[in-house]
Amino acid sequence: MIYALTVAICAASLVLMLLAGYFAFRDRLINDLVLGLAALVFLGTLAQVVIGLVRVSAIEDGTEVATFISYLLSLPLIPLATTFLAIKEKTRWAMGSVAVGAFAVLVMTARLQQIWDLNV
Amino acid sequence: MSDSTPGSDSTPTVDQAPRKSRSAHGLGSGPGLIIVVVYGVLALAATGRSILQIVEYFERAPLSYVLSALAAVIYIAATYALARGHRRLAWVTISIEMVGVLVVGLASYLLPDLFPSKTVWSHFGSGYGYVPLVLPAVGLWWLSRGSRAPHTS
Repeated sequence: MIYALTVAICAASLVLMLLAGYFAFRDRLINDLVLGLAALVFLGTLAQVVIGLVRVSAIEDGTEVATFISYLLSLPLIPLATTFLAIKEKTRWAMGSVAVGAFAVLVMTARLQQIWDLNV
Repeated sequence: MSDSTPGSDSTPTVDQAPRKSRSAHGLGSGPGLIIVVVYGVLALAATGRSILQIVEYFERAPLSYVLSALAAVIYIAATYALARGHRRLAWVTISIEMVGVLVVGLASYLLPDLFPSKTVWSHFGSGYGYVPLVLPAVGLWWLSRGSRAPHTS
């Protein structure tokens, strides 16, 4: 795990969460800015998957490996799924789910880093 | 993730008019969409974790891992039921969840020896920010609210 990447993903998903939440509140639909941010979060989590899987053997406690890998692999799917939803279904609730998804990315990425720091 | 259902072959009209089909059941549309997304995330994380736990070190804490797997299956079923508007399946799965998180949550405090390894539901889902406790309550509220509204399908 690279700490800077974790921070970058958390920052990008925080901005995405706030922006998508604002869009949902104002009943605005997805635009290039939201799409770009979601793409950024997606690429960040994808990079995290590669780095995480390469270095996963460094985690000593076996039981935490399960959580680590499942979170790692789940993460890229979240911005992907919610963004597709927002493109397909043009409602404020779809933007709301982008915001909720971004929050999930934030929490799960922080948890990944926590597992890493505690067990390596 | 809600739209990739293998069973949609039998109803080709669904793909042509997704919005119409969504409003017909109403469970996975509007605010329900957000509930579906949260369920989806939980299902994803719980399933992956549970599979790895069972494959890699089942003997360490069989009860915990069986419960985790059960929870994962129920989250998948609830996500599917909400997204596709299967009201009865949604009621059953979300009710099981509510009972599960309360019983396992209580048991993990009273009988900690039974749970050497954490499950999604132990300590009322504190490891997951109490989302497993809040989510079924929200889900049941959403279901009961939907059943009062007039719906024809």
